[in-house]
Amino acid sequence: MSVEETLRKIVTRVTRKPESAFTPQTTFEDLDADSLDIVQVLVALEDTYDIEIQDEELQEIKNMGDFIAYVECKIGEKGKQA
Amino acid sequence: MGNEKALKGKVALITGGSRGIGRAITLKLAEAGADVIINFFRKRSTAESAAQEARAKGVEAHIIKANVGEPEQVEDMFDEIESQFGRLDILINNAASGVARSALDLDDRGWDWTMDINARAFLLCARRAVRLMKSGGKMVSISSLGSRLVLPIYTAVGVSKAALEALTRYLAVELAPRGICVNGIAAGAVETEALKLYTADPNLPQPAWQTTPAGRMVQPEDIANLVAFLCSEQSDMIRGQIIVIDGGVSLTPVSPAKKNDQGE
Repeated sequence: MSVEETLRKIVTRVTRKPESAFTPQTTFEDLDADSLDIVQVLVALEDTYDIEIQDEELQEIKNMGDFIAYVECKIGEKGKQA
Repeated sequence: MGNEKALKGKVALITGGSRGIGRAITLKLAEAGADVIINFFRKRSTAESAAQEARAKGVEAHIIKANVGEPEQVEDMFDEIESQFGRLDILINNAASGVARSALDLDDRGWDWTMDINARAFLLCARRAVRLMKSGGKMVSISSLGSRLVLPIYTAVGVSKAALEALTRYLAVELAPRGICVNGIAAGAVETEALKLYTADPNLPQPAWQTTPAGRMVQPEDIANLVAFLCSEQSDMIRGQIIVIDGGVSLTPVSPAKKNDQGE
């Protein structure tokens, strides 16, 4: 499953929105996500990919497209360390 | 404590023991000779670095990932402790989280999340810990002044800490016949990353944390020193107390004047 598919499933499950509501342009604000939703998304991603997401780096992320790229980058960094 | 290795040979679990106040407690207990089990929620690398620092003090250190708000994860954590150590002498209920909202803006999920991690987790951990404390033990809960003072957008956390303090008193009496001492610490604002997050919104009224009658903010090490005392034999006759550690700030509604350059 691609990072985009995984992120779509996690984000829509946590925010209780249909998968159709998720596009690369979608923001957490569009999905009415609160801080608790975002924490739960982060934890699910960290567990799925065994990565560590730095909360301060998330300020650069504007939408799900940015988020997908960020997670792919983290997975790549982990691959290099292994 | 007079004896620097007063906790030698003891096994201590510190929930949320990798960062901030929890990390200071972990290192203090390690310094006092206890083997430490560091529970963490998200940052494995931070937990590993805390464990390395603890090991440098000559003790064993073990990390366990678990969200203490989730009963199954608490069970798994204690299964691991039981298989790795076979016993537990000290439980520090420190992990905390919370949704920062005023009462009318709080939804059920935010309430449950906060109560589960800050209050119920102590019950879940204590129930399992008792089974591993066959020769008695010490439990310390880390609360905050928000349990009794009303702070901006602190509703859920403040209420959860009030529940935690009440639970501390009940456990103190109910577990006393088993030789287990239970106490709590209500900290004022402690200089940590978590406090920076809480005070980041300039639109909120800012409590006067920066000055205390004692002349400085409370540091994580201040809490850790008190925890170490409450885990020592010297505190055996203190039961079910919530000890305030805030530099005296809760004693007066007036913020003390800042010291001048000469410290006067």
